Amino acid sequence: MGIANTFTIRFLCLFIVASILVGSSLTAQTLTKKQQDSAFLLHPGQERMRNIKKSLAKTFVNFTGNNLSLYGSLNLSKQNINDNGITAPINYLYNSLNSNTYEAGFSGGFRIDGIYNEKHRYSFSFGVNRIAAGNNYKNLHSLAPFINDFTHFKADNVFTSINIAVHYKKLLSIGDMNKYKFYAVIGPSFDYKISSISEENLINGAGNRAIMNGDFGTEFDNKGYYILFAHYKYGVNMTSSSAPIQLNRFEIGMSIKTKDLF
Amino acid sequence: MKQIYILLIALSAFTLFSCNKETANTQTNVMNNLLTNKNWYLDYSITEAMTSTTPVVLKSYVGQSTYFITYLKNGDTKDSDGITGTYTVELINGQSQIHMQLKTSNGNPFEVIYNIISVGESNMVLSKLVSGPATKLYFTTK
Repeated sequence: MGIANTFTIRFLCLFIVASILVGSSLTAQTLTKKQQDSAFLLHPGQERMRNIKKSLAKTFVNFTGNNLSLYGSLNLSKQNINDNGITAPINYLYNSLNSNTYEAGFSGGFRIDGIYNEKHRYSFSFGVNRIAAGNNYKNLHSLAPFINDFTHFKADNVFTSINIAVHYKKLLSIGDMNKYKFYAVIGPSFDYKISSISEENLINGAGNRAIMNGDFGTEFDNKGYYILFAHYKYGVNMTSSSAPIQLNRFEIGMSIKTKDLF
Repeated sequence: MKQIYILLIALSAFTLFSCNKETANTQTNVMNNLLTNKNWYLDYSITEAMTSTTPVVLKSYVGQSTYFITYLKNGDTKDSDGITGTYTVELINGQSQIHMQLKTSNGNPFEVIYNIISVGESNMVLSKLVSGPATKLYFTTK
């Protein structure tokens, strides 16, 4: 009798749990009124996105094997500043501004590695940089014996920029290429300062947000798990400036495929 | 493809038109920031005079304890001789100037204009705009 009761209680419990689960799954499958309406409506935004994707797929038909990765890097930067075009009667003491060293910043973003025409390897990257640059002022001015060694211009040396780079990757025949791959990398990149520019940096039309870089470096691909890279970037102002700045950067970092991360 | 061209044109236009945001007041603002809320101590006063035959440079060491002037952020100025008034930094025909409307301790108003030869965090050279030989004033902060 006791055993029969226990069995009945267990059966009832099982039945209740099963009913709840089936009920909830049925409820989840039922579309709401809003979803039902939405299914019959036109979605111009979604349609446009689909068209853009189709158009991109047609345009970039030769760009294959694209792998999306996230990257992070350490930057060492120094900027050479030429203040000869500044006419404002302002003095900044040279010793307080000029460090002439490489200072550390960091970058992060994503990159796409692929092959063009099944022959030419490339990478396209988009990232955000936090740059802290050492200053090297090329010109010294003096109002001896009262003011010794000063510069007319104070360049912003800590700023944030967005960066777009397109690199051509040449596979180097070093070591066991089935396991590890070494690449020589070359290509242009573009930086745009998104942080605010100080008034000192805008004087006499010196302010310049856009920087065009020439990049080269090497990359080490460990069986596709990750890529270690070391790049040098030689940057100049994209538009003319009364105080042209030349930015030197070394970038050492690592990228990992997003499908391995998420 | 059309969308890519539109995107490229928009990006190029954005890059070209947003590079320089200098305004008419940029230079005077920067000079004002360097000038204000400090005591500027007069170290030297140099007058380049001309006699009938040869130029003469009259140098005089004033010394920091003798005279100082302060330019306040609100546009007021006062000096160690008790002269008070207002000032503005102006850019006239490419020349940076300090225009001062002053009153003596007796209340008599007068105007002084200085050309700014150089101004910085701790050094300033002014030239007094008067008819006759120019006087250059060399100031430092302590």
